[in-house]
Amino acid sequence: MNSHPHQHILIIIPAKNEAAAIGSVIQEIREHFAGTILVVNDASSDNTAQIARDAGAKVLSLALSLGAWGAIQTGLRYALKHSYQIAITMDADGQHEARSIPVLLQGLDQQTCDVIVGAYPERGSLARHIAWAFFRWLSGIALEDLTSGLRAYRHAAIDLLASPSATLLDYQDVGVLMLLHKAHLRIGEVPIYMRQRLDGGKSRIFNSWWAVSRYMLHTAILCTAQLKLPKKFQ
Amino acid sequence: MHDLTFGIIGISIAGTILYLIRRDHLHSHHATWWLAVALGIVGLGLYPKLIDWLAIHLGIHYPPSLLFLFGIMMILVKVLAIDIHQSQLERKIRRLTQRLAILEDEQHDKNTAEE
Repeated sequence: MNSHPHQHILIIIPAKNEAAAIGSVIQEIREHFAGTILVVNDASSDNTAQIARDAGAKVLSLALSLGAWGAIQTGLRYALKHSYQIAITMDADGQHEARSIPVLLQGLDQQTCDVIVGAYPERGSLARHIAWAFFRWLSGIALEDLTSGLRAYRHAAIDLLASPSATLLDYQDVGVLMLLHKAHLRIGEVPIYMRQRLDGGKSRIFNSWWAVSRYMLHTAILCTAQLKLPKKFQ
Repeated sequence: MHDLTFGIIGISIAGTILYLIRRDHLHSHHATWWLAVALGIVGLGLYPKLIDWLAIHLGIHYPPSLLFLFGIMMILVKVLAIDIHQSQLERKIRRLTQRLAILEDEQHDKNTAEE
């Protein structure tokens, strides 16, 4: 076995129709990271899988599209099965920088936490900031960036998030954080920088008022259902 | 007249359910609920006074409205049960899809190692 400092770390990239960006994203990561890069191909209709494989990533292909979180959970289950100690999730569209990987790992060590979120609260529209403030208040989770997809999970968090109780979530955001919070896992945050998406497109969630409203309602219901009840109701 | 209508409705529901099971269109698991509904309707046809008696004791002045309330409640419960079941199925499908992807990859690795 070859031994390098990253061999117990897995990078998970969920990708659906990201043929334009995925190749350069993987190349950039490989300059900073020597471990396994796992692309979970969420039933793409283009050649995302082939490009990712050619760029040197390991590729799992889903038979049905499960959405971003379903793809990430596939990666977490893979990490659990193959005994990786740390899993890092990144977006396939190039907005997360490979330079952030060592920052996340350092944060995990220094803050002795189970999960570290790469936070870039400077990004985003007014709508996004209002949504964040609302969900911070509703969920009681005091993080700057609730929707960042750049995160590192330690084994305890991987174990929890790979379980069936996390399968009916749809996004890697507040719902996931609440599950971790409820299990008393420690969540930390490190400041990182995020670029514009390589394809120049907009966020999948925050791209129209209709989508935002649907997302807000969905997440608000999720938060409300998870509210801590007074002892006598439990 | 009243009794006959109820009897016909109850028996045709029961008949339809048994037919659907026979044709393999309905899991027998779901049949219990519908056969119970059919039985309830036949019961009401046989003893129509039952609903009047119940309504008086519940303080409802117009007995038929109790019948509608019952009907709507039964449908609500059934639809909610379907949604719960549907969520369980969704979870199972997602887990299976994930597992399939991981197993396919292992199979692929095994094949390339053999070559």
